[in-house]
Amino acid sequence: MFLPLKALFRKGGTAPSILAIALLVAILASITSVVNHVNSQTQTLSKLRGTGETFLLMSNNSTSLTNSKVSTELIQILNENDAFKYILPQKIFTATMITISNNYTVQVTGVNTTTFFQVRHAYVNGSFADGMQANVGEILARIASIHNTDKIGIAYEDKTITVEVAGIIQTRTQSDSELIVPMNVANLLTEDNSKVSIIEFAIKANGNEEIRHINELLPADVKIVVTQQTQTFVQDLNNQTLYFLSLWSIPVYAVVTATAYMITARLTIESSYELTMLKALGAKRTQIFKLILVVTFIITSLGTIVGIAIGVAGAQIISTTLQWAWKGIQITPFLEIQQTTQIILFALTASVLGCIYPAIKATRKTYAELQL
Amino acid sequence: MKIIGFNYLQKQHFLTLTIILLLASTFFSITALGFLGIYKSFNAYLGEEENIIAIYDKKSRTPFTGLVPTYLAQRISSIDGVLSSSPEVVIPCIVKGKSIFLRGVVPNELYQLNPLIILDGETLQLNDTNSALVGKRLAKDLNLVPSDKIIVLGALSEQYIELEIKGIYESNTALDDEVIAPLYVGQWLRRTDYGHVTLIRVKIDRSKVNPSQIYETLVQEAETPAPSPSNETKPSPIQQMIPVSRATFNPENLGVKETQEFMKTFLDRYGMTRETLLILSAAVFIFATATIFASSHTLIRQHKPEITVLRSLGASAKTLKLDLVIKTIPLSVVASLVGMLIATVALLILQEVGQPQVLSHRVQFQPDLLLLALNTILVTLIVVLAIIHSTKRLDKD
Repeated sequence: MFLPLKALFRKGGTAPSILAIALLVAILASITSVVNHVNSQTQTLSKLRGTGETFLLMSNNSTSLTNSKVSTELIQILNENDAFKYILPQKIFTATMITISNNYTVQVTGVNTTTFFQVRHAYVNGSFADGMQANVGEILARIASIHNTDKIGIAYEDKTITVEVAGIIQTRTQSDSELIVPMNVANLLTEDNSKVSIIEFAIKANGNEEIRHINELLPADVKIVVTQQTQTFVQDLNNQTLYFLSLWSIPVYAVVTATAYMITARLTIESSYELTMLKALGAKRTQIFKLILVVTFIITSLGTIVGIAIGVAGAQIISTTLQWAWKGIQITPFLEIQQTTQIILFALTASVLGCIYPAIKATRKTYAELQL
Repeated sequence: MKIIGFNYLQKQHFLTLTIILLLASTFFSITALGFLGIYKSFNAYLGEEENIIAIYDKKSRTPFTGLVPTYLAQRISSIDGVLSSSPEVVIPCIVKGKSIFLRGVVPNELYQLNPLIILDGETLQLNDTNSALVGKRLAKDLNLVPSDKIIVLGALSEQYIELEIKGIYESNTALDDEVIAPLYVGQWLRRTDYGHVTLIRVKIDRSKVNPSQIYETLVQEAETPAPSPSNETKPSPIQQMIPVSRATFNPENLGVKETQEFMKTFLDRYGMTRETLLILSAAVFIFATATIFASSHTLIRQHKPEITVLRSLGASAKTLKLDLVIKTIPLSVVASLVGMLIATVALLILQEVGQPQVLSHRVQFQPDLLLLALNTILVTLIVVLAIIHSTKRLDKD
């Protein structure tokens, strides 16, 4: 096998063939490496921002806050742990608010009002609700023209109660459009003391470790949701870029297939003398086929490796030049091992696909057809 | 026109070259159309019309992170020639595990800038607390229908909000990938006070007012002392609902530009112009030229017997080169046009199925005449050069 290989590689077309594959792979490698850098930078930035310290405990199968149901027994379990800054159970439901002038569909939140407004850093015009009282969010109060000491009705399913407005609150959160009532009022309306909608909590320090520990204490039917999703957001945006890149790489591999076809076609034409001699010496069709396949495989492998090197080095050189030209720009392109493997495998597969037809065609030619 | 009046080139080999040119052309077109698609989509994000301008925070590094006083929207709407003034908060967040952008708006003002067609459900009003509209593409992605409830989790702050879907809309703009909610919902997620928004979009009658006149009004407004509570005018419908305070501002930090120009400012800042993207695409294409060169060379090698016979019959090298070039030019033109067509159709199909996305918005692809010309010229030029070079080499052999 070595001698025929040597004969085929001696042809002048080998270097341009390797270069043709290498340049195509270089495009892919350089763009992937730059995208990797951008993605890693955004990931780093998102980590700097942190995940926050506020979490929600809600039922596993719930798709909204209002349909979540969590046992109040969990509050006791959480209270036994001293890792929390605060624990805030909330009963959230949609009800009808009845005022003198109109009825409104509103979201009602039952809470311990003192803890709730402390956590929300609320501005209160009036006082925190207690007993049969309610606090009204500022936006809701403006929409429904509600003032302090007004009496309003809250209707939930077939139960209606009347509460007094203890204060108008501004928290710059969703509470500004809600009716905030003490938990006893919420329980009175829902007639269920055993369940709350969610438990909001904040942890003191060592976030991931604590959350893992808390998770172990909880039953399987509840989940912990982090309220600040910076990393998920960034990860999703990065995935979109990588998906775009993978779509774009399809035509690159198509061109690699076409290039492999041309390389093989050219090889069989330019090596017709050698192939004829091999046939004359008794080489079988399968042996000729394998020989052409091996040559193309070696050329593509070399082209792919050289291409990856050119791509990453080229991107690095351009980045360094840009860094000199514009001081603010600092790009460190890199390829991950699985990406390198993927590029090599895909390029080789594309090449093998491209060379099959001309290789078969070359083996089909009879001794008399081949040019000497 | 044929110099040598018979077909000595084999159809099969000719077809192979055509396919390779077509693939290279498709590759170039996909690259360039993709880059330009991202560029155009980003520029058109806030509207493409010349009569829509943006009042924005010049210090902001992205179009989503600026802060502009909310009350200016009301002040600007009183200028003669201003048709509508829409304060908006654009905020990244997570819904059902997917990254999306939520736009807090004053619905009636937004509708005048972007007429929305409600496909299902009802339209949104500013007093629809805890409600939202969802763009048709996003609704399809997240499988949302009116009266569904969604939990919106903040990407920049520790905020969680439950919203009920009031309707699904179509706008045929980037808005179709977003959630629209009342202004204050955006402000909660942005963790800003009610006195600030991300930007104000203004629709103007250009025959009556221009961006520089609006900027002058902002300068005057900054210099005017705040009226004492007793002299304050009657609150606007927005102020009746949202506690918008009068925030002080430095007019030098505010910019007033056409929305497309505004978005272009951010791309330009990072060196992304239409020209650089075209050059980048051309550079990618030039990397692929080795394939075209190899293909053209192979075509000549495949016809070595025919060319040798013609040479021995007295055809000069020049005549042969000219004949080969004339025969391959129409081929390369057709291949590049078809390649461009294939790329455009493929990208439009992808767009139809909702892919690809950049910054959680669909990339809108559009055919580009300059690109078509560039593609055709580049492909033809490379083929011609390769044919001349290969024929010369064959002659030497």
